[in-house]
Amino acid sequence: MSDINAGIAANAGYIPTEADFQFKNKGKVLGNDENFAGQSYWREVVIRFFKKKSAVVGMIFIILIAVFAIAGPGMNKYTYEEQNLAQKNLAPRIPGLEKLGIFNGNESMNTTSGSKTVNSYKDKGFTKVYYWFGSDNFGRDIWTRTWSGARVSLIIAVAATVIDMLIGLTYGLISGYFGGKVDMVMQRILEVANGIPRLVIVTLLLLVLKPGMITIVFALMLTEWIGMSRIARAEMLKLKEQEYVLASKTLGASNMHIIFREILPNIIGPVITQVMFSIPTAIFTEAFLSFVGLGIPVPQCSLGSLISDGFNSFTTHPYQIVPPVIVMALLMLSFNLVADGLREALDPKLKEM
Amino acid sequence: MKKKVLAFLCAAVMAIGMTGCGGSQTTGGSGSSKSASGSAKSSSSDLNVMLETPVESLDPQQATDGTSFEVIADYTDGLYQMDADGKAVPALAEKTEVSDDGKTYTFTLKDAKWSNGDAVTANDFVFGWQRAVDPDVASEYSYMLSDIGQIKNAADIIAGKKDKKELGITAVDDKTIKVELNVPVSYFESLMYFPTFYPVNEKFYESVGDKFGTSPDTVLSNGAFVLDDYQPAATSFHLKKNDDYYDSSRVKLAGLNYQVIQDSQQALMNYQTGALDTTLVNGEQVDQVKDDPEFKAIGAGYLWYISPNMDKVKELANKNIRLAMTMALDREAITTDVLKDGSKPTYTAVPMDFATGPDGSDFSADQEKFKDVCRTDASAAADYWKKGLEELGESKLELSMVVDADDAPQKVAAVVQQQLQKALPGLTITLKVEPKKQRVQDMQDGNFQLGLTRWGPDYADPMTYLGMWVTDNSNNYGLWSNSDYDKIIAECTTGKLATDTQGRWDRLYDAEKIVMDDAVIFPLYTQCNAEMVSSKVTGIEYHPVALNRVYKDAVKSE
Amino acid sequence: MKKYLLKRVLTSIFTLLVILLVLFILMQLMPGSPFNDEKLTADQKAALYAKYGLDQPVIIQFFRYVANMLRGDFGVSYNISKNTPISQLIATRLPISIYIGFMAVLVGAVIGLLLGLLAAFKHDTIWDTIATIISVIGVSVPSYVFALALSYQFGFKLRWFPILFSQQQMFQSSVLPSISLSMFTMASIARFTRSEMLEVLGSDYMLLAESKGLSGKTLIFRHALRNALIPIITVLAPLIVDLMTGSLVVEKIFAIPGVGSLLVTAIQSNDYNVVIALSFIYSAMYIGIMLVVDILYGIIDPRIRLAKEGS
Repeated sequence: MSDINAGIAANAGYIPTEADFQFKNKGKVLGNDENFAGQSYWREVVIRFFKKKSAVVGMIFIILIAVFAIAGPGMNKYTYEEQNLAQKNLAPRIPGLEKLGIFNGNESMNTTSGSKTVNSYKDKGFTKVYYWFGSDNFGRDIWTRTWSGARVSLIIAVAATVIDMLIGLTYGLISGYFGGKVDMVMQRILEVANGIPRLVIVTLLLLVLKPGMITIVFALMLTEWIGMSRIARAEMLKLKEQEYVLASKTLGASNMHIIFREILPNIIGPVITQVMFSIPTAIFTEAFLSFVGLGIPVPQCSLGSLISDGFNSFTTHPYQIVPPVIVMALLMLSFNLVADGLREALDPKLKEM
Repeated sequence: MKKKVLAFLCAAVMAIGMTGCGGSQTTGGSGSSKSASGSAKSSSSDLNVMLETPVESLDPQQATDGTSFEVIADYTDGLYQMDADGKAVPALAEKTEVSDDGKTYTFTLKDAKWSNGDAVTANDFVFGWQRAVDPDVASEYSYMLSDIGQIKNAADIIAGKKDKKELGITAVDDKTIKVELNVPVSYFESLMYFPTFYPVNEKFYESVGDKFGTSPDTVLSNGAFVLDDYQPAATSFHLKKNDDYYDSSRVKLAGLNYQVIQDSQQALMNYQTGALDTTLVNGEQVDQVKDDPEFKAIGAGYLWYISPNMDKVKELANKNIRLAMTMALDREAITTDVLKDGSKPTYTAVPMDFATGPDGSDFSADQEKFKDVCRTDASAAADYWKKGLEELGESKLELSMVVDADDAPQKVAAVVQQQLQKALPGLTITLKVEPKKQRVQDMQDGNFQLGLTRWGPDYADPMTYLGMWVTDNSNNYGLWSNSDYDKIIAECTTGKLATDTQGRWDRLYDAEKIVMDDAVIFPLYTQCNAEMVSSKVTGIEYHPVALNRVYKDAVKSE
Repeated sequence: MKKYLLKRVLTSIFTLLVILLVLFILMQLMPGSPFNDEKLTADQKAALYAKYGLDQPVIIQFFRYVANMLRGDFGVSYNISKNTPISQLIATRLPISIYIGFMAVLVGAVIGLLLGLLAAFKHDTIWDTIATIISVIGVSVPSYVFALALSYQFGFKLRWFPILFSQQQMFQSSVLPSISLSMFTMASIARFTRSEMLEVLGSDYMLLAESKGLSGKTLIFRHALRNALIPIITVLAPLIVDLMTGSLVVEKIFAIPGVGSLLVTAIQSNDYNVVIALSFIYSAMYIGIMLVVDILYGIIDPRIRLAKEGS
């Protein structure tokens, strides 16, 4: 308020001219208001979403990755579990492309006496053998493993999102909204849950649960919600004293109505951003879980476990870590683009800038 | 208040930063990796050694792991030491006399000094050994004195039934120690290089109390080196040559510079920059270095094997099923294609290269001894499998195998799983990966079907392995029991064969044959470590038992 | 405010006690003992349990521990560094973790903030896309892969920095670990700053401020950033605690004698006292920072009153 008063004081005696009533950023196209009259909210959202090119590109990538995750493993003769120790650690080789000098099975090896280029296909006489993404140190096809790993990781991504939304979001919103004693108790519970090292929980879970997808989801459920609940609480604290909330309260709206109908739509931006961060965290947590024996049972794999396997060969056979990292990064990029599009489409007050 | 906290934080960070910079100036601070890993104290002829794990304890009676033993032995000598071949040769013992019945040893000590100037006396040994069995100290390796060393009254003292003063070791005078045993122990001298039997200066120990072994000021050296830079669980520490060592002309190195590196790729890079003189290489990186003359495979002594639970799983109680499984394993593929570190396929119940017999040959040199019951033979395996399934009246079998949540065991298990499933139609193996603590507990509770496990030798005698399969031994996970076997083992430990070395050796083969014929375990391989040793360095002695590395004779040329 | 603070501190102490008790109970349930289960007989294990008082009922162990803790005695390590007092073990290691964590937070927060602001102000331009891609890489590649890649390139190939951490060259040797640790922080701060700034920039009061003709700097720092700070602090606070209490893999890779790798080793080997002490320190730091954050909320946005019912 003081700013405005000061402004008025400074401008005393000033006579407005025509220029004061122009938009400040004249150069920018402000965009015309479109008439959405008669259209439903959701229809509006869809139209806005598809108007954003990056969101559409992200959507296409997600669909592509999903298609490969379903069909990719069946596209060559290898299976994700079959080992062929004679054909281990072969660099990527793709028919056709190899004539161009790329993906021809060459790899450079850093030996103690300097680096040298080797082609294990030629050296070992596998002239008819092709591993598109190379083979790992058990002679398993990385192409097949990458896509079947993507399948597992996509499921985990969905699970993480649901956990975030159902547990984390609700917990944080309620804690922040009611404040006082409720907040005090709920935050202390959170602190206790946060204070127990995850590895202790996981080791104890091993005693009672069998490894598998349900166990992974259960393990994620125990800790993954904390980040989201913090964000939701902070946003709630920021918004709950805002005028529109007070207005709603005065009009006699119920608490649940205010929390989920009035405030939730206004914090969708940070919520979606947080989901974006829980997904890779969940995917890497799964890799950790499977290393200690609680994740997807070997020889099945996930993007996370492929990355940690590839890590062990990083300086020897760097091509082994590349496919899972790229799929992971692409997946995250497209999730981000889609989420961004969604956020702008869902948030009615965000205007074209 | 907030500001104060912030100020404190800033000050703390700055202080740390400043000590860092100050230190770097003394080494020249060039920022190159070579000077980075060499500490301020390292000189040109320090040997730079990589360790995989930090030291757990510098208390000779509390230490239990190879790293701690190695470091303790760097600066402490016992009555005996290991020579290049791993044989026990006198260290502090000037003269050793054994009574005719083999139950009394009399050691006479050399003139040697602790690093505080005190002479090493017989009482230092008495004090050290009494600590080892003292229930208040609760040494984990007290069984080295009782079960293995068979020292008089050791077992009763550990159990709290007798006072530690009654232990069968007495200081006849300052230079003479008399040790009394319950029964003759053929390998007793070779126990004397084991750190649990090292001397401790009582006066010094009392003066430092609980802090014993936690810093250079709280350890005393009577050995080749002196600890001069160390913190508990440190990732790098340093020892310098002990000029007062009684055999100091033998020691050529100016010091030892230890660096703990848990990531093997980083270790190899560090080695390649010249900052390390020796490092461990993991399986994947062997491809990079296998043609290098500096690459060596060094025996680690561990036997890796699969233990079937014959007691609880009726399918595994069937001998044909067990024989089928052990023959279906392609051990060669595991060692050459997966481990690549020089580990040796093993077809005997006692691993290779750690126990040398009276004739000077390795106990398990002949790996074809049991080829009738343990070899790689897919068709024989399939035959046994068919027979076994018929006897059981089943066509399919599902088994689970518990595996440690560590890198190497998980890799080996993945291959074993494939090999068994491929060779034995109808078999499905699921892997149960568990933290090691839990895997051991599950196996001890009999809560497993197949278990991938390993055992390292405690002393250079086949008994360290064969002793495990006697009825009711806690490491006999499969709860196998055979009275003939028990009888042979009893004969060889405390019975009539205990002093007859050759006769005992032959009987041990008989015992091993029983284990193998019955396929009580499926041996896989004898572990080797792939190491790089700089061509500038010679004379590091590697041993699979007790002291993994000895540097007394090591030389580093410039 | 004072009353609120007092109440928070008292409940924090209670929370820490609850955490300790839960840990004590969970430690009892962990498989195996802290000692060598393979080589020890039941009698020997019983003797060891008696020596360390582990044969007592949990509740007695708990009270004894709390009593000792008040005197600054966190017990001794059972196997990581046998019989070494935990306080000594942690005193040498925690400062190193804090130092590296602090550098990582600093790098991550500053770069993240700048990236986020850039992306928000150049919304829907190539800058936005570049900032997005950088932060996507930051989250989709785990820190240990960064660590090894940086070490390979800048330590091994170019030799700009030491490959391993060394106390003699504290600063140079913490550059690579700090950068690898900061990537996730940088990415999250960048994304949250961007999304908050977009929201703030689109809000009515910003339009008002803009239409008043306020200049760029005042606009960004006095109005926009201040309002975007709450979520940024919310994200940053737990990351600070996480980073300062050390990271398992990065410590392993660079051979850093910090507390992160200590905790994992302690859990795997059942070194109860080390697990409990480290979890306690972690929780205390976490609770402390959360308290600071809650107070900061009120300072940044006076409308937020946490102690509404309390005062």
